[in-house]
Amino acid sequence: MEQSGNLDNSKMSCRNLTKSFPSKKQNFLILDGISFDVRENEFLVLFGPGQCGKTTLLYMLAGIEPPTSGEIRHGGKQVLEPDSSRAVVYQTMALFSWLTVKGNVEFGPKARGVSKERRERDTQHFIDLVGLTGFENSYPIQLSGGMKQRVGIARAYCNNPDVLLMDEPFGHLDAQTRYMMQESLEKIWQNEKRTVVFVTNNIEEAIFLADRIILLSNCPSRICAEYDIALPRPRSVMDPEFLRLRKEITAAMDRVVDKEGGQP
Amino acid sequence: MKKRIDPKRMESIVLGIISFLSLLILWQTAIWITGTTRFPSPTTVIVRFFRALVEPIGPYTVIGHVAWSFSRVFVGYSLAALLGITLGLTMGWFPYVRAAFKPLFDLLRPIAPLAWIPLAILWMGIEEKSKYFLIFVASFVPFTLNAYAGSIKADRQLIGAAKMLGAKNNQLFFKIVVPSSVPQIFSGAQVALSNAWMTMLAAEMIRSSYGIGWVIIAGQQVNDMAQMIASMIAIGIVGFLLATGMRLLERRFLVWNNQGI
Repeated sequence: MEQSGNLDNSKMSCRNLTKSFPSKKQNFLILDGISFDVRENEFLVLFGPGQCGKTTLLYMLAGIEPPTSGEIRHGGKQVLEPDSSRAVVYQTMALFSWLTVKGNVEFGPKARGVSKERRERDTQHFIDLVGLTGFENSYPIQLSGGMKQRVGIARAYCNNPDVLLMDEPFGHLDAQTRYMMQESLEKIWQNEKRTVVFVTNNIEEAIFLADRIILLSNCPSRICAEYDIALPRPRSVMDPEFLRLRKEITAAMDRVVDKEGGQP
Repeated sequence: MKKRIDPKRMESIVLGIISFLSLLILWQTAIWITGTTRFPSPTTVIVRFFRALVEPIGPYTVIGHVAWSFSRVFVGYSLAALLGITLGLTMGWFPYVRAAFKPLFDLLRPIAPLAWIPLAILWMGIEEKSKYFLIFVASFVPFTLNAYAGSIKADRQLIGAAKMLGAKNNQLFFKIVVPSSVPQIFSGAQVALSNAWMTMLAAEMIRSSYGIGWVIIAGQQVNDMAQMIASMIAIGIVGFLLATGMRLLERRFLVWNNQGI
């Protein structure tokens, strides 16, 4: 290990991760030597072109996908399987359609046997926090896309995880709803500081939300750059510094895509 | 004020009544033109139908016979629901249950319930038991098949999400696989009910002393077509009511799966 994985403020660490999927002729390498740390309470965005393996990387952090080689640690312990200390917000929402909003949000605490009193309090708290007060007894099918993802966020938060992993959570929403959800998420995160790893391929979303952005290249993915975003919050997409960063990161991404993914 | 009926719905009700009346008129006209006495007229059948509601045929009125038939269906169907749903769900989720029972089930499945009649009678006699058994066989297959399809196709991502939230293996089965299979089980229950209802008739027509199937056979034996057709109408009405009941139950309990109805 070339770097210490136990920096004081490091929540999770990845070292030399690779991932390949076997296919008929040869192994298909999608992640190649990824190493980074996730710091306590930071909002880390994994940003990269479509199909670059960001989601796979996130699932590896979650413990859903095992890495082909390399090591992931969370709080000093190796990540080997899904664990309720990490929570995932899915691009497809993945809500339990037969449960109400309340039933979805309290699923984790209920499964883990949290006391009823504590559970009720937390459930209501997070339903209120994501702005779904009054919809406790609605079923997912009765909600709009944005509201569904609010349930997804409340469900993840309510399980009191140490790290929140979000896989393009707003990818399926229309542009207007997407902006609203980004603002909401920022407020929620300011209210309830947690370590967040957020995957997206939308540059504005990345700069709007991130403390730090890790830029991944095309397949097989490597880390090409890292940006600390020090803009004050809440951020404005019209801020000159915002626009400058956007230009810079977009240019960096274009170079990556041209170099590695361009057709001759 | 009562709820207003949507004009589209009103239209379809009116059309339904018109086509039904047209059939009766055609039937009546055909009887007049041919002057036949071998086939009863609709008025005779309707009169017979209402008389059968109050006057006993054999031991009971038609209502009593229907109640007997219904009780037979109820016993066989409930047993089939209990065993079929359990077998189907566990076969879908536990690989060793699937390995042990799926081949056996696949072999027995294509045997039509009616093929079991002679064996059932020899084995269990002509009384209630053999009828329960035949109705059980007829409804067990759709119950099992649909519960199995529901549980084996349970959404892997939802199972993953539940695991991620801290659910243990038994919780994955009871809290994800079982509830997500309910809509599929419901469609199985509907098929099973109509299978059970049909098989009950066949079983009663072969050997029984009461029940709506017996009423048809009793009519045939004394060459009373009006009685036969009146009981067929009773079967149609009860079958329709059962199917409607199932749909209402579905609407009531599967709100989460049916938007806007």
